[in-house]
Amino acid sequence: MSDRSAKIGHILFESLRSPVKLVVIGVVVGIVMSCVAVGFVDLVLWVNDVVYIAPRSRMMIGEHFLLPILTVVVPTVGGFLSGCICLAIADKRAHGITDAIYSANTVSVKMPVRAGIFSGMAACVALSAGASVGQYGALAHLGASVGSWCSRIFRDEPYLDKIALGCGVAAAISAAFHAPFAGLVFAHEVILRNYSLRAFAPVTLAAGTGYMVASDIFGRPLLFYIEEIAVDSPHEFIYFVFIGIVGAGIAILFMRMLLYTSQLARSSNFPLPLRTAVAGLAVGIVALQVPEVLGIGRESLRFAIIEEAFSLPELSVILLAKIAVTILCLGFGMAGGVFAPALLIGILFGAIWGYGTEILFDEDRSHIVIYAICGMVAVVSPIIGAPLTCILIVFELTHNYPLATAAMVSVAFANLVSSRMFGRSLYDRDLLFRGVDMSMGRDKVILDQQDISNLISNEFSKLPADATLQIVRQTLSKDQRSEAYIVDQEENYLGTIFSFQLDELQEGDHQLLAQDVAKPETLVCDGADTVWEAMEKVSGFVGESIPVVDGRKLVGVVYESAIIKAYLESIEENRREENAA
Amino acid sequence: MPRSVRKLLGFVVFWMLPGIGAEVMAIETLTIATFGGVYRESQEKAFFEPFTAATGVEIKIVEHSGGIEAMQQQIQRGQIEWDVVDLELADNLQACNLGFLATLDHSQLAPAPDGTPATKDFFPDTLHECGIANVIYATVLGVNFSYYTGQIPDDISHLFDIDKFPGKRALRRTPIALLEWALLSYGVPKAEVYSLLSTERGINLAFKRLDQIKDDIVWWENGSEPVELLVNKEVAIASAFNGRLFSANAEDGHTLRTIWDGHHYEYSTWGILKDAPNYDRAIEFLIFATNAERMAEQTKYISYGPARESAHELVTHHEASGLEIHPHLPTSSDNLSKGIAKDYEWYSHTYDMLRERFHSWVEE
Repeated sequence: MSDRSAKIGHILFESLRSPVKLVVIGVVVGIVMSCVAVGFVDLVLWVNDVVYIAPRSRMMIGEHFLLPILTVVVPTVGGFLSGCICLAIADKRAHGITDAIYSANTVSVKMPVRAGIFSGMAACVALSAGASVGQYGALAHLGASVGSWCSRIFRDEPYLDKIALGCGVAAAISAAFHAPFAGLVFAHEVILRNYSLRAFAPVTLAAGTGYMVASDIFGRPLLFYIEEIAVDSPHEFIYFVFIGIVGAGIAILFMRMLLYTSQLARSSNFPLPLRTAVAGLAVGIVALQVPEVLGIGRESLRFAIIEEAFSLPELSVILLAKIAVTILCLGFGMAGGVFAPALLIGILFGAIWGYGTEILFDEDRSHIVIYAICGMVAVVSPIIGAPLTCILIVFELTHNYPLATAAMVSVAFANLVSSRMFGRSLYDRDLLFRGVDMSMGRDKVILDQQDISNLISNEFSKLPADATLQIVRQTLSKDQRSEAYIVDQEENYLGTIFSFQLDELQEGDHQLLAQDVAKPETLVCDGADTVWEAMEKVSGFVGESIPVVDGRKLVGVVYESAIIKAYLESIEENRREENAA
Repeated sequence: MPRSVRKLLGFVVFWMLPGIGAEVMAIETLTIATFGGVYRESQEKAFFEPFTAATGVEIKIVEHSGGIEAMQQQIQRGQIEWDVVDLELADNLQACNLGFLATLDHSQLAPAPDGTPATKDFFPDTLHECGIANVIYATVLGVNFSYYTGQIPDDISHLFDIDKFPGKRALRRTPIALLEWALLSYGVPKAEVYSLLSTERGINLAFKRLDQIKDDIVWWENGSEPVELLVNKEVAIASAFNGRLFSANAEDGHTLRTIWDGHHYEYSTWGILKDAPNYDRAIEFLIFATNAERMAEQTKYISYGPARESAHELVTHHEASGLEIHPHLPTSSDNLSKGIAKDYEWYSHTYDMLRERFHSWVEE
């Protein structure tokens, strides 16, 4: 009896071990990351106040002669320091969400702790000094790093690293926005790129814990509270459609200019700290006239949704200035995200649309907040490639169906346009630039990570160039193969002889040597080819194996069956990860 | 408080403070500058009279209307007349910065009845270099609801909604609270008010809102005026100190309504003038007036919230009306969350500029 209960106990323990670990990781990452997020945001706000970036301290110092000097010097020095911190990272650049997506969608790439810490520090410095970068991307990346790091408690658990990474991101977004649903969906939609059942529970727990810690323990107010509002007239939904389309246009323009600037900056020989200092200087100079560009622009976000707080020309100037300095800051390599500046760019655009509609069509419209919010999500959603997250953020922050519905319309059209004309998101474009194509989903990324070196076989029929066809025939018959690979004295690949070629030979042809008959394959593999590339080659290939050459030298062959097996195994592994509960 | 306890307290205080033994025999006078009206009466009953009873020290009350000018004049004349001064926190900080006030040692303050040291018992941000918070009072909106037949104003934005809630508004002639209320009426969350008011755009928005009711404003300067104006139906809505509205209802039988939404609360703070003629007695008074029991006692006469935790546990009823006082304090859990704390640090730097802008707007 005791044996039996011990056995049951053991089975119970074994079956509960994994879920318990998942719960523990969700809660632990949720608590740790929400504390980090709250600390990060508070630290930035505090330094903003101390260095006269925050409006409150700027107003308190009044018309002091130091204010304009500080306005220029602080972002410049901050930019320089932020760049210097990034030099401590192995690849001398600030890491961000892109790196988290890359790690989440590859088998072997872990989030480097050092890069996580230094990128977070660099972003904190840049934001504290008023650079026009975002804090949410930086926090999400920090979350991914913290999650990945926490997962090392349980080394034996498969896939836990990626799940914990998702937990960290969810907790960061949830704590920063007070939007647990948005945090949960963002982690799946943007980072993990799957809705695996196994990841769902811990990521949800992390998002929930992050929210509770931030709001209940630290008592943080809602990031962006909006009072109840309604859409006055159904025909305004037509405007929301156009906000989506034009918003996508602005987002695409912004992203293209940003990518172009980053490329230009990367190809220049200027050291990173110098580039980021120049970007900071630009922010400071612009801020002398348009102080709204400093930092994440919380005040402007609010003013944009207050009726008549801005005039149309003011909105246009701030919009252009914000786009310009954000492109400079991020393009020149400043640490920080794109999310917060995109929020401001979008909300300003939406407000312009709202006031413009009134002037152009001379008719009553709904409250400006609806236009502003539609504009905000129309620009943000294509940039971060997260339509669901955007709709949920609006819903969670406002608890308002009409507003969320209007935002949904704009988001739908924005993503429709941008996915056709640009791609899924800025992150995916950035990854593509680094040679990682996310457009076919994570299967392709993982297959692209594995090279075929493990699949190369040495079991094939290799014959010298001067072998007679008789020998070729005998060898193939002995080896029970239909292909013979012909090499010269230096082992260089000359071509392949198929058994059917031998069958088709005429009487006189038997005098020929192997080198006369061998046809060089148009399809050859390189040892560095990935499984995905090999798979693509196989699709247009007739035969049983593909020669693998190093330079011209034949190093082996890859059997079609081995490639297909590797492909299937990888897909199966992916599905197992996604579906395991 | 029983007489024996008072005697005992006087005895203890007497021996605790050395160097005053010889002087205590002569009749001494401690000069305390404070605000007038019900507030002064509550202080007389809760602090001044018991202090005199315990120590024999007479209290000379000087009424003032806030600000630091009176102290400045005394210092310039080289003739300090006040010993203790009750000031708004922002004024206390400014006077402290200017060196008008003496530095205080918080460890001298009486602990809570359960032994918790005063430094932990006082609310956060209530103990300052030259000031010890006394009460938390709120500027609220009072409504004479006989003015309205349908919906009665109950939201801060209703102050500016002249179409829905017609009638004159009596407002204190100062930008304090008005600018905050103006921004709150746009739906700005309380936590964002001061950062938005720190921009040109925010101030302009606030004045734009005030423009909407400018023709209907009756300005007041003395704290007793708004209640009179409301009671006499000269105005429909008025900004007023919450204690005054409560007293009007509880003691004089009026039926004015208090709108707690958006109430603007701040601290009233004790300070001692540097080179005060009766410095030691002043310290003695401060220790006496800031113990939990005395602070709770004050709530029997006025609905201002004591600035220390333990005093709240001792709060009972309003003496004259027998009403439970707790729901009428700005610090009650229900009311506190509806209020916005005055950013005294911000005001200490911006007040002159705001006042100038405000007065030129008033006179426009």
